[in-house]
Amino acid sequence: MSQCRTGLLAASMLAMAALASPAAAQTVTAARDGVRSVRVGGDVSAVFGPRDDEAFFNYTDYEHNALRIARVRLSGEWRVTSGLSFLAQAQTENVDSLDAIAAYVRWRPWSGRTLVIQGGRIPPVIGAFARRAYGPDNLVIGSPLAYQYLASLRPNALPDTIDDVLRMRGRGWQSSFPIGSTVPGPGIPLISSRWDTGVQVGWRHRSLELSGAVTMGAPAAPRLKATNDGRQWSGRVAVTLAPGVVAGLSGARGAWIDRDVLALLPDDRRESTQSVVGADVECSRGRWLMRAEWLRSGFAVPLASGSTPIAHLGASSIFTDFRYRLHPRWQIGMRLEHLGFATVQGTGGPMAWDAPVERVETVLGFRVRRNIDVRGGWQYDWRSGGRVRERGFPAVQIITWF
Amino acid sequence: MSAVSVSRLAAVLAIMAGSLSLHASREQQGTGLVRGRVEAIERTRSLPRPTIAEIAGAPLMNHDGAERRPSVVYLEDGPRGAFTDLPAGRARLDQRHEQFVPHVLAITVGTTVAFPNNDLTFHNVFSLSKVKTFDLGRYPVGQSRSVRFDRAGIVYVFCDIHSHMNAFILVFTHPYFAVTDDDGRFTIPGIPSGTYSLAVWSEAGRADAQRVTITGGSSVEAVFRVGRQR
Repeated sequence: MSQCRTGLLAASMLAMAALASPAAAQTVTAARDGVRSVRVGGDVSAVFGPRDDEAFFNYTDYEHNALRIARVRLSGEWRVTSGLSFLAQAQTENVDSLDAIAAYVRWRPWSGRTLVIQGGRIPPVIGAFARRAYGPDNLVIGSPLAYQYLASLRPNALPDTIDDVLRMRGRGWQSSFPIGSTVPGPGIPLISSRWDTGVQVGWRHRSLELSGAVTMGAPAAPRLKATNDGRQWSGRVAVTLAPGVVAGLSGARGAWIDRDVLALLPDDRRESTQSVVGADVECSRGRWLMRAEWLRSGFAVPLASGSTPIAHLGASSIFTDFRYRLHPRWQIGMRLEHLGFATVQGTGGPMAWDAPVERVETVLGFRVRRNIDVRGGWQYDWRSGGRVRERGFPAVQIITWF
Repeated sequence: MSAVSVSRLAAVLAIMAGSLSLHASREQQGTGLVRGRVEAIERTRSLPRPTIAEIAGAPLMNHDGAERRPSVVYLEDGPRGAFTDLPAGRARLDQRHEQFVPHVLAITVGTTVAFPNNDLTFHNVFSLSKVKTFDLGRYPVGQSRSVRFDRAGIVYVFCDIHSHMNAFILVFTHPYFAVTDDDGRFTIPGIPSGTYSLAVWSEAGRADAQRVTITGGSSVEAVFRVGRQR
């Protein structure tokens, strides 16, 4: 764990600990300004699935299998005044480390207006899935490919030629490139589940929501401190088209490669932009809930050798979630998704720069209590490359939240 | 036994029967009331979970701090005849500002409760209680769904979308109950004469039931102290 992360984590945990006793006192003391001072929430989940030491379909950028994981998350919100709050969230996966997912200040300059300014380690603006709680609000057990599946690109290692990229097809769980860090390591998803650091503004008026952010990293590579050159600009507009129907458009552009690696390249090849555009929609009515999200990402990848200085590697993802509640206790869910990669010209001919993946996941959930779910599911993955081309995974999840 | 003795016994029996009949009649006709107060600790209202992932400015819900939650005072053993011919009533549990209003609702068996959505967001009312398990699905502002409650007991009501929303519905087989007001006061009118066990239900904790005797036109005072006092 880096010193910076440790410091941030310690600060957030200290803040939560300090706030715990006022929270208890708050039960008998009315708060100032008509709002409560402290809120605490969290969720605990455990997913039991088979080992996957060959295909790594569910390997995440936290370097864990999303279908074989125990996760504890704790969130805290301290409202100093009705307009100023401090928020933090800490998480541990498989109890091997503790991460400060979020730690930021929320400021509402005008009480009568729904304008919010947030600064610190903040939620991502782009897309929709990353802002949903993993457990109760995720309709199936696994995570969407765009937010979880690791492509072979790495911020701290670069290919020499496009063939270096093609050699790593289907090996995003541990890829290696000749420039920069030569130690094999995990690649990056299109959008990381980690949160970036910076400032954002959000505004809501009737059915319209606007948000924008300036942060230090890129959608695929958020940063706690600036180790890259450039800033990420991201924005989202969402409209409630009808009751229960929300559609959003978002985009982001940031620098995803570490500056130490870029420095190894000639000046004319120091390009490190990741651009993402996305569209998302959620429809719900009665017992149905449907969500869909499309994302397109473009990575500028400098190539040290060859006539083409910069390779522009595109990738796109689309997924659709469904949920139907059969009974107050029973529900079924499904996710269908595709993660594709653009074709590039290698010495062996045209080929997608990483192996496309398709995934189907179904789940049957049983609500034991209001805040305890037990889910059993089956996920099947197909990949057009890599050592293992397809595999199915059963999984059982127990989750509780408060 | 002589004829005189037989006639005297018959007369006594007749008087006794008349007396019993009169007593029963008085029990049915003479009613009184129980009034009083429930002193319960203030409970914090359930708050929304921290809105960590919120960006666009959501309306700031004024979830007040501690408040005195309503209690329900009721007769454990209702008068004879109180369990039949209950009218099929109607009641309402609003969804407003991400809260159920009222927080505690007391009804009789057979009552149909409407759950109108008066918020700008969707709600999804459900209950997993044995007394009544239901899920009304998601519906927007201006719409309502209804549930009929046919069994007595306590029903815990939640919203699937907003985990801080909760309410209680207490379903009785008789009409002798009252929900306390903001000051903890209650009145149960129209109780037939008799001796009853008066009980209280409260989120704040328990209190022993009390024996109360109602005579025609009487008013009985009762005070319950529930849970830890401030």
